[in-house]
Amino acid sequence: MRKQQLFIDAAYESLNHYGEELCGDKVEFIRGEGFFLAVLADGLGSGVKANILATLTSKIIATMLAQGAGIHEAVETIASTLPVCSERGIAYSTFTIVNISDDGRVYIAEFDNPSMVYCRGGRLEPIARSELDVSGKRVYVSKFYAEQDDMLILFSDGVVHAGVGRLLDLGWQYDNIVKYIRENLKPGIAPRELVRRLLSAVNTLYMDKPGDDSTVCAMLLRPKKIATVMVGPPMSREQDTSVVNKLMYSQGLRVVCGGTTSQIVSRVTGKELKVSIDYENPAVPPTASLSGVDLVTEGVLTIGKCIDILRGLNDTGPDHWDQIALNKQDGATQLTKILLESSTEVHFLVGRAINPAHQNPGMPVSLGLKLNLIKELSEELKKTGKSVSIEYY
Amino acid sequence: MVDICVCVGSSCHMRGSYQVIKTFTELIKAEGLEGEVALKASFCMGRCMSGISVSVGDEPIEHVGFVNAQEVFYTQVLPIVKRLSSGAQPDCLAE
Repeated sequence: MRKQQLFIDAAYESLNHYGEELCGDKVEFIRGEGFFLAVLADGLGSGVKANILATLTSKIIATMLAQGAGIHEAVETIASTLPVCSERGIAYSTFTIVNISDDGRVYIAEFDNPSMVYCRGGRLEPIARSELDVSGKRVYVSKFYAEQDDMLILFSDGVVHAGVGRLLDLGWQYDNIVKYIRENLKPGIAPRELVRRLLSAVNTLYMDKPGDDSTVCAMLLRPKKIATVMVGPPMSREQDTSVVNKLMYSQGLRVVCGGTTSQIVSRVTGKELKVSIDYENPAVPPTASLSGVDLVTEGVLTIGKCIDILRGLNDTGPDHWDQIALNKQDGATQLTKILLESSTEVHFLVGRAINPAHQNPGMPVSLGLKLNLIKELSEELKKTGKSVSIEYY
Repeated sequence: MVDICVCVGSSCHMRGSYQVIKTFTELIKAEGLEGEVALKASFCMGRCMSGISVSVGDEPIEHVGFVNAQEVFYTQVLPIVKRLSSGAQPDCLAE
């Protein structure tokens, strides 16, 4: 039997060296067919120079490995490409490579970064590492199978040195970080929340003035779950049936946004559309129910509100992350919850028919705006680590 | 039982469906009509250009807004409700 396909829910964030505009750490994610690749690179020094080194390193490794090159080739390419630092006479950037297949196979190659932390069932699992000589660099390689709900955490040495020479003589130190991770690792914690908790501690230890670029990256293995969202009536009526069939035969969660759109789905499937009369929130139109569909909402206004919620989540600082709860019952909150928490991938079926009602000067929403709304929504979703695709009709 | 449908689609929502539903709910209660009418919400009824769309039975009422909701209820909704409930009953329910 084929194993459950996995989705890698990944997030990273960085704190810049105090006074620098650019970060000397760089994380590169690539989502490919059947694999997820993450590269964390930490360039020598800080500021522009470090940023260039880290960007080149992470980009070259990620691109080459995603195209099927081996680790030796990728490392040799970096060694001969990186500019040599005029002060120190060396070209140097550390890196950690994590490649996870959607069946849970994990390959890790680490060079001079703090060792990756691997958590399974709330406990830390030791990883067997073997040493590999790659063009004179000592790279540690490990291979293992990870399972659903396992979490992989990477961080740069700025995290290890947090507070050095000021609050703490020796900095935060690796063992203490691991302990902190273990204490914060509650079941169901989102990768971004863990990342923010760690960085918020780092920032406190540095007393808001980080002495080194600090980056944390967390990856959680989740069962793959797709949400298909039909929004807007197709341009030509003949397409109605095929788009609705595409929605109704899709795996995972099904969502319909838009009044006219939900009436089309009701007509094609022959199921009754029941619009709720209860306003959970007077600012958001009520939802409806339709057999076989997980959520039916009004269109543009609900989507606009959903974007606001997501933007709030993406833009708030770590201090407020805990306070945003998705426990309301209005259409926008329910939509956000399905897209953000219940699914790992979102597929939009976007109809481009013009709604005559929206051509009315009293209506602040035009068709162009509607298509832009979907684009904005998918951008915000991508920021939270979802993979998003859009199909137009 | 007569259905009163109020549109809660995007366009009507922006014009104030919420207030109309609230007003109608209160008036139905005040007039003791809970057993005679069913207040329902509906997505777009295709008459977006003419105010908040309302229909009573199959009969459309146009240009409803939150300002005139109470007036419309007494001058237009109620007469249709009375006519429909008295006209629909004789065949099956009389005697």
